[in-house]
Amino acid sequence: MNVGYLFRELYYQKRRTLTAILGLSIGIALLVILNALSMAYRQAAHAPLQEIGADITVQRPGDVPKDLAGAVFPCSAVTIRKEEVEKIQSLPGIRGMGKAVLLWVFDPKQAWIVLGIEQNNSIGPAVLRSAVTEGRFLEEGKPEALVEVAYARQFGIRVGETISVNGSRFPVVGLLDASRAARIAVANLYLPLSDAESLAASSKNLQTVSPFAPGDVNLLFLKADQEKIPGLAASLKDILGKKATVATPDSFLKLLGSLFALSDKFTLAASLIAILVAILIAFKTMAGNIAERAREIGVLKAVGWTNRNVVAQLLSEAVIQCLLAGLLGLLVALVVTFGLSFIEVNIPIPWDMAPNPHFLPGGGDQIYKTLRLPVHIPWSLASFAVLLSVLIGGLTGGLLGRHVAKIKPSEVLRHE
Amino acid sequence: MNNSKILSGTKLSKNYGELEVVKGVTISVAAGEFVSLVGKSGCGKTTLLSLLSGLERPTKGDVLLNGKKINGASEDELALFRRENVGFIFQSFNLIPTLSAWENVALPLFPVKMTGEERKRRATELLDQMELGHRMDHLPSALSGGEKQRVAIARALINKPKIIFADEPTGNLDSVTGDAIMEILNRLHTKEGVAILMVTHEAELAKTANRLIRMHDGEVIS
Repeated sequence: MNVGYLFRELYYQKRRTLTAILGLSIGIALLVILNALSMAYRQAAHAPLQEIGADITVQRPGDVPKDLAGAVFPCSAVTIRKEEVEKIQSLPGIRGMGKAVLLWVFDPKQAWIVLGIEQNNSIGPAVLRSAVTEGRFLEEGKPEALVEVAYARQFGIRVGETISVNGSRFPVVGLLDASRAARIAVANLYLPLSDAESLAASSKNLQTVSPFAPGDVNLLFLKADQEKIPGLAASLKDILGKKATVATPDSFLKLLGSLFALSDKFTLAASLIAILVAILIAFKTMAGNIAERAREIGVLKAVGWTNRNVVAQLLSEAVIQCLLAGLLGLLVALVVTFGLSFIEVNIPIPWDMAPNPHFLPGGGDQIYKTLRLPVHIPWSLASFAVLLSVLIGGLTGGLLGRHVAKIKPSEVLRHE
Repeated sequence: MNNSKILSGTKLSKNYGELEVVKGVTISVAAGEFVSLVGKSGCGKTTLLSLLSGLERPTKGDVLLNGKKINGASEDELALFRRENVGFIFQSFNLIPTLSAWENVALPLFPVKMTGEERKRRATELLDQMELGHRMDHLPSALSGGEKQRVAIARALINKPKIIFADEPTGNLDSVTGDAIMEILNRLHTKEGVAILMVTHEAELAKTANRLIRMHDGEVIS
C-alpha cells in the first residue's frame, strides 16, 4: 500500500471520492440519529419517575365513598396493606422503597389534597425538599405541614399559621412550589406519613370502602435494578392484583406513542436498513471505481504488482473513504441531534397518577411532564458508527478483491 | 549483444474460443538484441507480445524468459517475475493520471520494500536521462505526448529489466516525436545492452531494429 498514491487518488478523483463519502455518510448519519433518538425517548420516559427518585410507582384502584366528606382515598389509590408492602420489599431486584399516603380531605370550607411523606427518604416525594420557597421542610417526628405556594396564596395561608385538616391541627412550617417539581406525587398539603396515616385510619367514611390501618399506605415508590423492572412489574401485579397500577419507564414510553418509543424492533430494523443502504452504496461505488480503473489496474499488474498489492491499495482507499464517511456522518448526526435537542417532549401523566380529584374544575385535564428531548450521541454509539464505517470499507474492499483478480492486463491494455 | 537467448517462445498458440489468433509460433530474442515484430493490424502481434511477456498464457507451447519457463507460473509469480525482469512501453503510454511524472516512473517500485527517498532518487535519475528532470512533479495531463512516452520508457527501465516489450511505442506520436523516441530505444539497446522486442505496423520504423520478424494471420512468415 502506497500512502501517497492513496491520497492523490482520493484528492484528484474528487467526484468519485465525494460520491462515495457522501453516500455512505448519509447511511451512517441515519444510523446514529435513529439510535440517538431512540435512546433519548427512553431517557425521557425515565424522567417522570426519576424526578421522585424512583423507577416504579405502585398504586391500587378502588372505590370512593358515596359521601365525599372528611378524609377519603382517591379512586386510583386505595389501601396497600402492610403485609403486601413487606412482600414487595422482599422481591429480588428491589433496591429501595418509599411510602406515601395520598388523601382527599373534604372539610366544610375547603378541600385538601394531602400527601403523607417520609421526610428523610430519598425515594419518593421527600425530593420536594428542594422545592421549598419559604420556611423549611418537614422535620422528623413533628406534626407539622407544608403548603403548596399557589394553594396558600389562594386561601391566604402563611408560614407560622396553624391549619385545621379534618379536625387535626398542624403548624405551617413552609411553602413549596410544586410546579417546579415532579408531576406525580404532588399535593397542596404535605404532612408527615404517620399523621396522614392517622387521618386515613380515623376516617369512618374511608374505612367503609377501603379498610386502612396504621402501617398501610396507598402509594409506593420503588427503586429497582434496571434489567429486572419488567419482571418486577409482573410480580407486583401478582401481589396486588391485575388491576394494580404499576408505572415503569416502559409504560411511559408507550404513552409517548412515538415511533421511536414504540419498539426497539423499529430502531433495530431502521438501523439495519441504514447499514444495508450504507453497504450497498459503498459496494456500488467501489465496484464502479474498479470498473472505471480497470486500465489502471491492468497497468499496475503489468508493471509487477501482484493481486495482493493491488487489492491492498484499493482496500486502503476504501477504508480511508469509509472512515471519512463515518466521521462526516457522525458530524452530520451531531448537528442534527443538536437541532433535535430543542424539541420539547410532553409525557402524558396517566389520570390515575394525577392527584387532583377529576370531578373538581380542571381536575380531569390531562397533565404532562414537559422536557427538552435529552438527545445526545454517546461515545459508544459514535465509536460504533466509525468502526462500522471502517468495517464496511474493509468488507467491500475485500469482496471486490475477486473482481480485481479477474482483470487481465493483456485485455485492458490492448489498444487495437 | 551476445548470442545467449533472453527470450524464447516455442510452438506458441493462442485460441480465443474457436478463433486461433497465434498459430504455432516459435521465436527467440538474444540478450541485448533489438527485434521488430511487424505485421498488419489484427495479425496477432500484440497477442504474441502478451504471451512472450507473461501477460497472457498460451493455449499451447512454452515461453522461456531469462531462463525461466513462465507459462506454468501463477499470476502472482508472473507479476513478480515481470517486476524483476521485464519493462513495458505501450502505445497509449498508460500513465496513472493522478501520479506525478516521477511517481509514475517509480510505480513498479511501490510494492518493493525501500525508502521513499530511494524510489525518488532512482526515478529522478531516469527522468534526467530522458531530459525530463524539470518535469518530474508534473501530472501526465501537463505533459506532451512525447514527454509522456519518455516517462513511460523511464518507468520501463526503473527495475533494470533484461528485456523491454514495446507495443507500438510511437503509434500515438507525430513523426518528429516518434523519431526521438526511437532514438532513445536505440540508445538503450546499444549503450545499456537492453533487449527490446518492439511491435509495430510501420515497416520504416521496424527497420531500425537488428532483426525483423514478419507476422501474418497469426503466423511468423519471415
